[in-house]
Amino acid sequence: MPSRSATAGPFNRSWGAYAFLAPALLILFLSLLLPAIATIGMSFTDISFLRPANWVGLDNYFRLMADGRFQQAIGNTMYYTLGVTFPTMALGLLAAVALNRKFPFRIVFRTIFYLPVLTSLIAAAVVWVYLYEPYSGPVNGLFVSLGLGPQPWLSSPNLAMMALIIMAVWRDFGTAMIIYLAGLQDIPEEIYEAARLDGASKFSILWRITVPMLGSVTFYLMIILIVQSFQVFGAIYVMTGGGPLGSTETIVFQMYQTAFGYTEFGYSAAMSTVLFFVILLFSLVGTKIMRRGEG
Amino acid sequence: MAELELSGVSKTYGAFNALKDVSLEIADGEFAVFVGPSGCGKSTLLRLIAGLDPVSEGQIAIGGKDVTSRQAGQRPIAMVFQNYALYPHMSVYDNIAFPLQMERRPKDEIRAEVAKAAQIVQLSTRLQDKPSKLSGGQRQRVAIARAIVRKPGIFLMDEPLSNLDAALRMEMRSELTQLHRRLGSTMVYVTHDQLEAMTMADRIVVLNGGKVEQVGPPMELYHNPANLFVAGFIGSPPMNFLAGTVRSAEGATVSVEAARIGVVTLPFSGEHLSAGDSVTLGIRPEALELGAGRQVQFSVVPEAVERLGLHTIVHAGEEGRPFTALFNGDPKLRAGEAINVSVDGASVKVFDADGILRSRRAEV
Repeated sequence: MPSRSATAGPFNRSWGAYAFLAPALLILFLSLLLPAIATIGMSFTDISFLRPANWVGLDNYFRLMADGRFQQAIGNTMYYTLGVTFPTMALGLLAAVALNRKFPFRIVFRTIFYLPVLTSLIAAAVVWVYLYEPYSGPVNGLFVSLGLGPQPWLSSPNLAMMALIIMAVWRDFGTAMIIYLAGLQDIPEEIYEAARLDGASKFSILWRITVPMLGSVTFYLMIILIVQSFQVFGAIYVMTGGGPLGSTETIVFQMYQTAFGYTEFGYSAAMSTVLFFVILLFSLVGTKIMRRGEG
Repeated sequence: MAELELSGVSKTYGAFNALKDVSLEIADGEFAVFVGPSGCGKSTLLRLIAGLDPVSEGQIAIGGKDVTSRQAGQRPIAMVFQNYALYPHMSVYDNIAFPLQMERRPKDEIRAEVAKAAQIVQLSTRLQDKPSKLSGGQRQRVAIARAIVRKPGIFLMDEPLSNLDAALRMEMRSELTQLHRRLGSTMVYVTHDQLEAMTMADRIVVLNGGKVEQVGPPMELYHNPANLFVAGFIGSPPMNFLAGTVRSAEGATVSVEAARIGVVTLPFSGEHLSAGDSVTLGIRPEALELGAGRQVQFSVVPEAVERLGLHTIVHAGEEGRPFTALFNGDPKLRAGEAINVSVDGASVKVFDADGILRSRRAEV
């Protein structure tokens, strides 16, 4: 067994590091950990801030399992997450591969593609509400000019989620592009030259060299996009309000409505706790797979 | 196997001329080494032959066919890179098999070819490993195996040993020479290391400032360097140069007065020289002997003495000009104590005012 002085040694030597970390740890504890613990605690109560709170044990969780509306929100969230994550990655990769080549004005293109990431989400959502406007919106204007009929983008239960996904892909693929560009710049030029000499076509180079060599970047990107998509709220709040007929109501939006619309804070906390553990589990599994891949 | 012919090849990057009108023929089965200092254009020339960069002017023919406008993958060549350029996500097997997979060869054939190439480079037991599990020498062998499976007309090698340590480099030098003998293919090898060039080449191509300075077998370049650049580049330690003036150039001897050594009469025809011409005398460090046993005698004061066991290197520069002598064994010499040295007159090289060799040795 290590002696007391042996174990105390590293701590004593590292006190400076702990001192520097302390402010950040304190802020993280107050802003993240404490609310998370409080939320988990609230999920075992029927707290509503309108009447005395009671301890209800696991009742909120049993109720969640039987709640059809919550199951619909899970389905919507999955649909949104899949719909956003994979097209964003594919478009980001294609844009990065194209813009990794040397040609005039490539910096301009990179900036244009990245601009949506820098815009305010609410401002962008308001603009997209206008774009999707059924009578005078440019999207329907384009459809009509192509000989297709105008579509009720945000007011049809079949189209609303798709419309939100398109907007999210437009906004996020700049992030994917930048991350892929960083990954591409880590691939030595000699590898591509060797592949060219080995007779590989452009498609083979992309599929057999570039994509596998970006494996860890792709995985990292996939995790952050999935986690981000799980938590979608702002665009739905501005563009559809969860409608029509709950077709765009995702878990976080339902949490918000349950807490602040119906003042069922305890029940909402249970939803939040479930989402928290799903994301945590997903991140842990993802990180483990990524580390194994790197090894 | 194939011969290589370069005709008037030039390469410019904007206003910079990286290669100027290079014409060269490399015979089928020959081991040619491009050597020169950094920035001389040797790697650029190799990249043009490979098709990785387009030529600005001139033609490249391989096996008698003009390949100037062909893409890299369509030329009958394979290349081994300085940093190996292995595909890190693929196993050794897949790395070697990759060129054959690109040609859509049948799987059985690929398996057999990979096994054969792996056996040649002694990597048969490491086929399932990723390159990251291999040592530098083993990675270079994978790169060589990947080149072998293509059965190219010409192997191109761009400083393939420069990332290896000294001992491994010596081992790989010998392996590459054996490989060349075994495969009998044409090899074009780029290096900045004149020792690699001297030990491996059938013919050396010395490049400087984008131009070919001299082409010839190693010993021809050693004994008859065409000019001062080649004389200074080939040989280690490098040749000593002494500024001098021609006193007389008559018949079969030339009399030259030079710093350090005074007036010496050298045994060669002085048909290109006349009295009063400025010349540079070149003396190889290993041509010097201790004592006054040879025709040209003078004394030097060692600044530093390096004892290597087999040899002793004496540095005896004067007025900022380096001067080196290399003696066999371990003679008892000390820094600061003058020594008498001598050299055979026939071993002294004479370069004219333009730096061109005028004391050509007939037999090498």
